[in-house]
Amino acid sequence: MTSLAELAERVDAAARDAKAIAQLTTDIPDLSVDDAYAVQAMSIRRRIDRGERRIGVKMGLTSRAKMIQVGVDEVVWGRLTDAMLVEEGGMIDIARYVHPRVEPEVAFLMKAPLAGTVTAVEAMAAVEAVAPAIEIIDSRYENFKFALADVVADNSSSSGLVIGSWNAPSVDFGNLGVVLYVNGRPAQIGSTAAILGNPVRSLVAAARMVAQWGERLNPGDIVMAGGVTAAHALKPGEVVRADVERLGSVTLTVKR
Amino acid sequence: MSVPTEKIEEAAALLRGVYDGKPPISPLRDLLGTSDQTVAYAIQEANTKYWLAQGRGLIGRKIGATSKAVQTMLGLDQPDFGMLFADMTYADGETIPTDRLYQPKVEGEIAFYLGDDLDGEHMTVADVIHAVKFAVAAIEVVDSRIAGWNIKILDTIADNASSGLMVIGSQPRKLSEFDPVLCGMVMEKAGEPVATGAGIACYGNPLSATLWLARKMVQVGRPLKKGDLVLSGSLGPLVPVTPGDTIELRISGLGSVRTHFSVTGAGA
Repeated sequence: MTSLAELAERVDAAARDAKAIAQLTTDIPDLSVDDAYAVQAMSIRRRIDRGERRIGVKMGLTSRAKMIQVGVDEVVWGRLTDAMLVEEGGMIDIARYVHPRVEPEVAFLMKAPLAGTVTAVEAMAAVEAVAPAIEIIDSRYENFKFALADVVADNSSSSGLVIGSWNAPSVDFGNLGVVLYVNGRPAQIGSTAAILGNPVRSLVAAARMVAQWGERLNPGDIVMAGGVTAAHALKPGEVVRADVERLGSVTLTVKR
Repeated sequence: MSVPTEKIEEAAALLRGVYDGKPPISPLRDLLGTSDQTVAYAIQEANTKYWLAQGRGLIGRKIGATSKAVQTMLGLDQPDFGMLFADMTYADGETIPTDRLYQPKVEGEIAFYLGDDLDGEHMTVADVIHAVKFAVAAIEVVDSRIAGWNIKILDTIADNASSGLMVIGSQPRKLSEFDPVLCGMVMEKAGEPVATGAGIACYGNPLSATLWLARKMVQVGRPLKKGDLVLSGSLGPLVPVTPGDTIELRISGLGSVRTHFSVTGAGA
């Protein structure tokens, strides 16, 4: 029997070395989602031990379309570390990833602790600011294919984030237009309403889910609320920009 | 491509037959053996003339195929247009009698009400901006008189650009009060988001789509006039509807518009 610690080592190495691995559920078809979260926690612990710092959480499978695609009815979460931060307007090297994709998102910055069952009003009272963001997702599994337990163990595919300018949270962000431009051309179009009907629901889910694992959202934490559109697979030399109505824009360049 | 007038009239009558209660018909492209847009618009115009003679009121136009994806699917290289009649419209909150429909789908759109004619020879988007008196959110109910939505260019254009009915929102906004390009769109069915999008999905800019229409209408001799309503094109994916569905559309800055599709034929 493979131990959860061994699985954590496997996903951690895949992320560190940018090398695709077989799905964990191929070896262990009955890997539970709870065990997968334990694997994720252990793999992130390995990163922390190497000197990385936890800076927040990301929410995934936040759209009806993605839930259907993966065959689940619950969102997933992952942990963000400072090593995943890409400077706004910065450049990334595709070689550092397995098969990176980008999604336009909105991000929350927390000003107060938040955990457990909370209302949307309580959640918003803990928010300092809202920003347009791009998440770099990169499944460490071959062909970007995974079962729910696989993706959870793999830190919910999270591998990078770029944050635009922070706005006061008084902006009504429930239905803002979002465009993902690739080399200046609109590649993906959507609305923040694609995130569970309203991104605040994603924040409420984040507070509930981290608490199940004995954690909380801390002041200064970033919460990536979830993808607004289908993901775009990055190619060398591409310039990617996400525009979010009223919140502004955020840009990322891929090294040639 | 020349198609005899009798054939045009025959096709037009087949479409009207469906409105009169016959089942949806097989594709007209097979009957006419062409995909020529001129022929397609001639069929549409034959019915427009027929309906105007019957006393229906022409109140505007709809623009269709405003996304590259839909143009590719239909085999078009530009949008298309159809006629809007007064009896096709419902107000925010009204129930739509489903017996007026065959195989309906809904789209979230911006409708522009014109406060000026758009019949110039050298019109620019600035003329469109000047002419728009207000914008409202609108649910377009598209429909097809062709069985199974088996449509190509000729079928959809001939069939009044697959138009059905529309629900007009009641929160008018000036163009300076919202962002027509970046405005978010969400459509909910029974409270669940089923389609999302943004203004840019409509031809890159709903005002550019309207300019395309204005120029086209001058060309075909039915220019847009003061008081016309322009249904400018979809901001996101189509959603099929069935009797009993409740649809709510929200467009950022333009408020919301809601309708219910009656369970039994004639509605409430």
